[in-house]
Amino acid sequence: MSLVLNDVTVSRGVGPVISNVTLEVKPGQITTLVGPNGAGKTSLIESIAGVIIPSSGSVVMNDVDITKFSKRKRSRAGLAIVEQGRMIFPSLTVRENLQLTARTKSDFDEAMALFPELEKRMNNNTVLLSGGEQQMVVLARAFASKPKYLLLDEMSLGLAPVVFMRLLPVIEGIAKSGVGVLLVEQFAHLALGIAEDAMVVTSGRVSYHGSPKKLTSDAELMRKSYMGE
Amino acid sequence: MLLNTFAGLTPGVFYGIIGILLTLMAQLTRTVNFSQMGVGMFGGYVGMTMIQKLKIDMWLAALVGLVIAAVLSGIIGWIIATWLPNAQIATRSAVTVAALLLIVATSSVLFGANHSNFKPLLQNNVAEFNVGDVKLFVSQNFVVLLVLALVILIGSSLLLKRTMFGVRLRAISDRQAAAELIGVNVKVLNVGVWVVSGALISITISFMPASISNDYISFSLLVIAGSAAALVGAFKNPWLALLGGVLIGVLQGFVSALPALAAYKEWVTFILILVFLLWNQRKEVWDVAR
Repeated sequence: MSLVLNDVTVSRGVGPVISNVTLEVKPGQITTLVGPNGAGKTSLIESIAGVIIPSSGSVVMNDVDITKFSKRKRSRAGLAIVEQGRMIFPSLTVRENLQLTARTKSDFDEAMALFPELEKRMNNNTVLLSGGEQQMVVLARAFASKPKYLLLDEMSLGLAPVVFMRLLPVIEGIAKSGVGVLLVEQFAHLALGIAEDAMVVTSGRVSYHGSPKKLTSDAELMRKSYMGE
Repeated sequence: MLLNTFAGLTPGVFYGIIGILLTLMAQLTRTVNFSQMGVGMFGGYVGMTMIQKLKIDMWLAALVGLVIAAVLSGIIGWIIATWLPNAQIATRSAVTVAALLLIVATSSVLFGANHSNFKPLLQNNVAEFNVGDVKLFVSQNFVVLLVLALVILIGSSLLLKRTMFGVRLRAISDRQAAAELIGVNVKVLNVGVWVVSGALISITISFMPASISNDYISFSLLVIAGSAAALVGAFKNPWLALLGGVLIGVLQGFVSALPALAAYKEWVTFILILVFLLWNQRKEVWDVAR
């Protein structure tokens, strides 16, 4: 039981942005995906979420081939995504944002418990929140849907490192509750620090797959992986 | 003059409802629906034709018209939701212009060139009173249209703010793609809004004041007056759209009382559109100058 990408190739415009990538995200584990800008990390995440359909290969979730599922059907099957750029619904309050995905009151309460600081902002429009608070809402909203797998794309974008540090233990907690997490990040050391599995993507190909500790402790290995050597 | 100005209230509320529906559609489906009056007209004309040819009851014909307008509107919405889900508002709105032209062309074939005997369901007055020497009338149409406008305004506000259905609609309005990713059935909700819009415009048309031209081209182009009303609320505030509609109706009534200007009463709409566009532009000019 896991989320598996089998030999996935994704093409956009002139040619492939992801070539023959295979990866596995296990329940209860964090897999961190790092790489330079333009390496294809977001395209990879979007191919899992159904935003773009792979030109070849398959996406399998808990033994079900979801490659041709619509975005909505993937969400219903237990896949949640936190996209780049804090995808709040600005005209909705914090409460309404969470109600969109929470099926029961206990789902809602568990999601709110991730960030008690949001309690006092419950009835505020999310557009009025700080960047960090907005990202908390988006993460809590994703968790409220009780996902089996959670895809997190560059959550740190536009956030101060100290704010991102506040999110990391929450992501760890979500994984400990049994959710498989695929974390795409530019703050490589922070993201690799909480991961069980690490991958480096360069020019649409996997240039490293293995232990995150080994990657963070070996600067030369990190450099070579980022350079695709 | 007072009589004409007061008489302008009924068409004013009528324009206001068109403006309200255009505003809600623009907010919820990211489309300026130029086909709105066209679908209502088509349903109404089918109903009128059934009255003439099949001798059915007027209210039954109105119901048939409502169903046809709702279905036709739903089809246009389905086309946009299926093939242009992520298109810009201009592209989506252009589709409704194409739909409007198609509906007008089809109406020409089906109903002939001079079919203009559309009659409102209600034609009596509910009250009359004197202001000085002038006797003013309050028509049944005015009362029904005003109540309908308020029901749409208050009902849509309650729906959007107090129900989960409304929260989902607002989420789609904010970020359609993001809403889909969290499992909201964007297509069904979008088409639903189109269906309800078609039904509401059909109900509105059933109480259209007799003073408005009702051949199918004039009828379809009433969307311009509705757009001017919606522009008063910047396609964001449906209450201001109602106010804008009333303003247009009253100004048209006032102008029609002036013999030298009566022939140009339709210009009021265009002048109002121009004034509001220039008013909006002033900030742009100021920004550029800075």
